Amino acid sequence: MKKIFILSISFLSVLFASSQTEFKKELAVARTAYAAGKLDDSRTAMQQMLYDLDMITGKEVLKLLPLKMGDKSANTKSDNVTSASGFLGVIIHREWSGEKKAEEGSENKNINLDIISNSPLITSINALLSVPFIGNSGGNKVVKINGYKALITKVETGNDKEDYDLQMPLNNCLITLKAPGVKQDDIIKYATSLPIEDIAKMLQ
Amino acid sequence: MKKLKEKVAEVSEKVSGPETTQNQNGTATPAGGPATSGNNNPRNTSGGGLISTPPDVKENLTSAETSFGGGKYSEARYAVQQAMLGVELEIGQAILKSLPQTIGDLNYETAADQVTSTGWGWSGLTIFRKYTKGDKQLRFTIANNAVWMQAINLYFSGGYAQQSGGEQKWKQTKIKGLRAVIEYEENTGYKLSAPLGQTSLLVYEGVNYANEQEFMKAAEQIDVDKIKKQLGEK
Repeated sequence: MKKIFILSISFLSVLFASSQTEFKKELAVARTAYAAGKLDDSRTAMQQMLYDLDMITGKEVLKLLPLKMGDKSANTKSDNVTSASGFLGVIIHREWSGEKKAEEGSENKNINLDIISNSPLITSINALLSVPFIGNSGGNKVVKINGYKALITKVETGNDKEDYDLQMPLNNCLITLKAPGVKQDDIIKYATSLPIEDIAKMLQ
Repeated sequence: MKKLKEKVAEVSEKVSGPETTQNQNGTATPAGGPATSGNNNPRNTSGGGLISTPPDVKENLTSAETSFGGGKYSEARYAVQQAMLGVELEIGQAILKSLPQTIGDLNYETAADQVTSTGWGWSGLTIFRKYTKGDKQLRFTIANNAVWMQAINLYFSGGYAQQSGGEQKWKQTKIKGLRAVIEYEENTGYKLSAPLGQTSLLVYEGVNYANEQEFMKAAEQIDVDKIKKQLGEK
C-alpha cells in the first residue's frame, strides 16, 4: 500500500513538472504570436495555458484530499485529472475503496469524488440551493458542509436500499460525492472530512 | 371619486415631479423629469459612463508568469483570462473594421457596433453590427460559441423536420458556400444562421425585407472568407 502511494505521488510529480513546462512553452507562444499580430494563434495558446493551469491545480487538489474516508482507503492508482469533453473544464477524480464484504455481493461500494470545473450542472444546483422549499423536497435535502451549502439527493437503487449523492457548487466547480450503501449521516461525515476551504482557495 | 383622484395626483406631482409611475408598492418612480425621486434622493442625470479600457495583454501575460512562478495558480488563471479577453476584443475590433459600411442602401450604426467577450474561451467572442434605413434593418452577429454551434448543427443532422404544420418555418440553404439554416417569423423577419469552421456561428437577421431573395442578396455582401481567416477557422 505504501509502495503504491509512493509510486502514485512520483507519477503525479512527473505529470506536474510536464504541465509546468507546457505552461511556460505556451506562454512564450502567446507572447510571440501577439507581438507578431497573430491574434488568433495567441488566443489559442492562452486557451492551452488555461487548460495547463487547470491540470496543475487539479493535481494540487488531489494532494489535499484525505487518504482515508470512513473505513475505506484512497485508491490513488485511480487518481485522475482529465479534461472534460463537451465543455471547457477539468475533472478531478479520486476513489476510496475497502475490502469487499460478503453482504455487498458484486456491487461496487467505492466512494467516488469528482470535482468538475465549469460544470454545466452548477446553475441548476445553485437554483435548488437558493430555494429552500424546492431544495428540501422530494428526495433532496440541503445541508451545510463546513459552512458551504450542499445538496443531498436520495438515489433509488431498486433493492430496498437507499444511496445518497452529495453535490456542492464551489465557485465555478461542482463537487460530487457518491457513497453507495451508506446512510445520509455518513455521507455528510465523509463530506465534512474534505478540506473544502482549501479546495475553494485553490479553485477560485 | 374622480375629483379625489385628480386632487391626489396634483399633490403627488408637487412632491415627485410631473411624470411618475406608481409601482405596486405605492412608491413613486420618476420616468423622466426633474432629478429627484419621490423619496428625495437625487437621480443620476450626468456622468461620462465607464472608461472602456480593454485589458492590457502584455501586462496580464507578465502577471500570469509571475503568479505562476510564485505558485499562485488562481491569480495566474485570472491574469490569463484577462489577457485572453484583451486579445478577443482586439480580434473583434479588427473584424468589425473589415465589415462593409453599407449593405444595399442601409448604413451601419456606429453606436450599435459591439464586441463582447467573457474571456473564458468557452462562451467566447460575440461581434455585432447593425445596418438600418428607416424601418428596414439587417443585424449581423458573429459568435464564437461551441454551445450555439451544437444547437444549430441539430438542424443539419436530420433530427428535425423541415416543415411544420404545412408551413415552411425554416429550411436548409447556403450562404457563400456555407451550409446554413434560414428561418422566417412574421413578427421578427428573416434569420439566417451559418456555422463557420468548428466553433463560430454567423447570424444574419433581416427586418422588413420584401422577400427571401432580397434578404439573401444583402447577406451575401458580407465577406465570410475574410472573417473565417481572422477567426483562425478552417
